[in-house]
Amino acid sequence: MNKTFWESKWAKPISAFISIFGFLLIWHIGVNSSSLGELMPGPIDVLSRFVGSFSVNIGQYTILGHALWSLSRVAIAYSVASFAGVICGLAMGRYPKFEAAFRPYFEIIRPIPPIAWIPMAILWFGLGELTKYFLIFLAAFSNVTLNAYTGAISVDPELIGAARMLGASDNQIFRTITIPASVPHIFAGMQISLSSSWATVVAAEMVRSSEGIGWMIVSGMEINNMQQILAGIVAIGLIGYGLATFMRFLERKLLVWNERGA
Amino acid sequence: MSKNIIKLEVKNLCKQFGDLLVLDDISFNVNKGEFLCIVGPTGCGKTTFINSITKLYTPTSGEILLDNEIVDPNKHNIAYIFQEESTMDWLTVFQNVEFGLKVKKIPKAEREIKVNEYLEIVGLTEFKDYYPRELSASMLQRVSIARAFVTEPDLLLMDEPYGQLDIELRFKLEDELINLWERTGTTVLFITHNIEEAVYLAENIMILTNKPAKVKSRLPVNLQHPRDIADPEFVEIRNKVTELIRWW
Repeated sequence: MNKTFWESKWAKPISAFISIFGFLLIWHIGVNSSSLGELMPGPIDVLSRFVGSFSVNIGQYTILGHALWSLSRVAIAYSVASFAGVICGLAMGRYPKFEAAFRPYFEIIRPIPPIAWIPMAILWFGLGELTKYFLIFLAAFSNVTLNAYTGAISVDPELIGAARMLGASDNQIFRTITIPASVPHIFAGMQISLSSSWATVVAAEMVRSSEGIGWMIVSGMEINNMQQILAGIVAIGLIGYGLATFMRFLERKLLVWNERGA
Repeated sequence: MSKNIIKLEVKNLCKQFGDLLVLDDISFNVNKGEFLCIVGPTGCGKTTFINSITKLYTPTSGEILLDNEIVDPNKHNIAYIFQEESTMDWLTVFQNVEFGLKVKKIPKAEREIKVNEYLEIVGLTEFKDYYPRELSASMLQRVSIARAFVTEPDLLLMDEPYGQLDIELRFKLEDELINLWERTGTTVLFITHNIEEAVYLAENIMILTNKPAKVKSRLPVNLQHPRDIADPEFVEIRNKVTELIRWW
């Protein structure tokens, strides 16, 4: 009986549900029966605030509006960064001189958290959208580039040899072998980058903006509304989870041939 | 047949990696349509030799002529079947076999006819829309074989292509290979360390010495295909090759 339960496809969703429900229950009991209640609101408060904010405005928008603002910033900057990153990464894989000259930049820029650039970004791009795009771009660009580069140089030499023997020129090899063989690496880079873009937009909005999920949290802090802060945090988590799931779905659809996608 | 035309001519081939001499003055000819097996102790430089033909390595000295011209994969039609799987995982079986024809810009209609023909020969017609990861090791090796034969190569190089397969599958694929070779008249250079495999397949067997590799001797196998490994004549040739290959 026990064994068949763990083999069923419902085992995981049911376990997750029980676990989360248990966590909320402990939170609820903790807040209502100890001094924890002075530090934070209970789960019922937070979740009802979260659900309520779909119909009641916080600032200028409902929570959905704020989420769409944040997501649209990510969509714009992340797309540009991914596109540029794939091109740069593949170019580094194709032309060793280009790689020798530029890869050090990526290796140095990658470990710098994008939010460290906030002061400079504000100086350069002002307080508007451009600063946020710049920060998200930084969060995504290096990872996509370096992953695309890794993909391009780690193509199985046997495959390149096989293609060369079949008469393929260097350009044909690059187009028909290197690029498709790099796609799983590129995808992995884009998955990591999407998560860090999402984290970065929230940080950027917390510093300076008048809408978005990050703003929701900061404004909650200013008016001392813990429900609003926690509702924002719940939204960040759910959307981040949704984005990751979406990327996995895309990978499964687009990379049918790849074991990782199976 | 046109068996006496020289297809491949190897002249005084040497290859050195730093101080390590791997190939030591190797010379031999292969006739058009010949099936030559090269056997030698493991690690004697068989793969280095084949990589010199394919220009994956440049020889230190000596030359390799194919149809009286210095060998050049961009000009000559050489197919190479590797020991490891070398299918393109993002292409279906059909597209894998089609690859060489597409690279050579052969029209689509013609490509389709040829690919289907060779898929039929290697028995993969049903699997033509499958991706490589959905296939077994022996099927993958058949994809590589079809991909090589479909280009109707001047020269087919095989580097222990069946080394990773179990005996039963090996016999089956070896029979298939002989079949294809007899049908197409391709010149085949087959490298193996498996003596029985060499005697089973080859018209001629060339034996290399231990490193640095020299040509030790060359002997014909005048037996009809399909061969019987229990046939006394077969056993005799096998023992002879084994004796020649011992270096201890």
